[in-house]
Amino acid sequence: MNAFRITEPNTGFVTKKLTNIYHIQADGNSLVCALSARLKRASNGDPVAIGDVVRWNESGQIVEVLPRRSQLMRRAAKPMPDSYAHEQVIAANVDQVIPVFAAANPKPAWNLLDRYLVSAESAEIPALVVITKFDLVDGKPESAEIMSVATEYRAIGYEVIVTSAETGLGLEELRAALANRLSVFVGKSGVGKSSLLNALEPGLGVKVQQTSRLTGKGRHTTTHLEMFPLAAGGAIIDTPGIREFGLWDVDSADLALFFPEMRPFVGVCKFGLDCSHDQEPGCAIRRAVNAGEISPYRYQSYLKLRDEQP
Amino acid sequence: MNTRFTTQRIYTRSNGMRNTFGNFVCLYCHNFVSAETAISGVHNRNHCPYCLSSRHLDLFEAGDRLSACKARMKPVALTLKHSIRKYARPGDGELMLVHVCEECGKVSINRIAADDVNEQVLGVLRASGALESGLRRVLAENGITPLAMADWPAVMRRLFGLN
Repeated sequence: MNAFRITEPNTGFVTKKLTNIYHIQADGNSLVCALSARLKRASNGDPVAIGDVVRWNESGQIVEVLPRRSQLMRRAAKPMPDSYAHEQVIAANVDQVIPVFAAANPKPAWNLLDRYLVSAESAEIPALVVITKFDLVDGKPESAEIMSVATEYRAIGYEVIVTSAETGLGLEELRAALANRLSVFVGKSGVGKSSLLNALEPGLGVKVQQTSRLTGKGRHTTTHLEMFPLAAGGAIIDTPGIREFGLWDVDSADLALFFPEMRPFVGVCKFGLDCSHDQEPGCAIRRAVNAGEISPYRYQSYLKLRDEQP
Repeated sequence: MNTRFTTQRIYTRSNGMRNTFGNFVCLYCHNFVSAETAISGVHNRNHCPYCLSSRHLDLFEAGDRLSACKARMKPVALTLKHSIRKYARPGDGELMLVHVCEECGKVSINRIAADDVNEQVLGVLRASGALESGLRRVLAENGITPLAMADWPAVMRRLFGLN
């Protein structure tokens, strides 16, 4: 990853982010910086994201964020019910987004996967879907459904890797897909993002925990964003579990374009580009769903996301 | 794309758009329809009580809202639901409306609601005598036996409790 080889003075790569504390890697050295008051004032939320290339001053304060080549964003949780929504950049300058889902414990919520994929499509970042904990369903009837959904997403054009940190299933394939790229893991708490990281790079010792036996959900073990370099080149950004993923900067009129399988049908409807693909007669997308060319579940995700957008 | 997206997800079933059994305005007769259980006597209000029309919204199971067809489902006949009681006699089942999608031909049977207009229900029974043979065959393939005018007393008994 050439972004690690920044040789400009006082310029580096944000590799770890805690509340108001930024760990920066520059020319083989690492340092801890805070945010300058000027930069903080100029932004609604946090102006610095993990993966950003930043400049700092002699006081150890970040004073400038260099232009990003990509950014994965979501709608930030509102601090107050009446406050305005604003964007939150989860990671910057990433080469691929990796939505991580567990085959069981917690069960996959495919509509959340569609949110991640739409977000990645709108940011023009390639996505690779990873299903973890396959050992928990292997040999059970549930595994057939997991594999069937994986096949559906592959048919759309997404790469899907089924893994198990316990048995080592799919890890070699995943290592190859991660090499020489900056990837970001996203997913709900407890799906096994950090466990997968430990399995991919033994010796990292990232803290992991069992999911709650009572609720079957994760315990929010990872609480900060951190980048881990890989032996084969490239790096992974591990993120805390995301409970909500609201789309940001996606217009409902453009939404169908972020579903690759719907793209060929956009503009073909009776009402052309004015079709919202919901109730209109002569809608090409609805016809394709009825014909089995588009998954009804993906279409349902489209309708849900469209209703949420401005 | 060669994959056909026709597989139902059961293990990872989501709530989807399940909370859509609410009040609505009928798209065909434009009457307001209340989904209150106290009025309709059913939990899942799935047709208009005034014109008995329904909409093709579900794909695999009631309430999944996965169908993209969304066309009108026309009431075409009445039938009796197969009773699950061990000692049930033939014709003991509940009176049901048979709906057929006007666009894709999907057939479904739905419970008569308490506030359905009885004249309309009897009108469906009268009109079903003239069902075309193709539709009769489709109903038979779905295990549905449409009631005929000979079943008038049975229908009256279920609607009005008369012998």
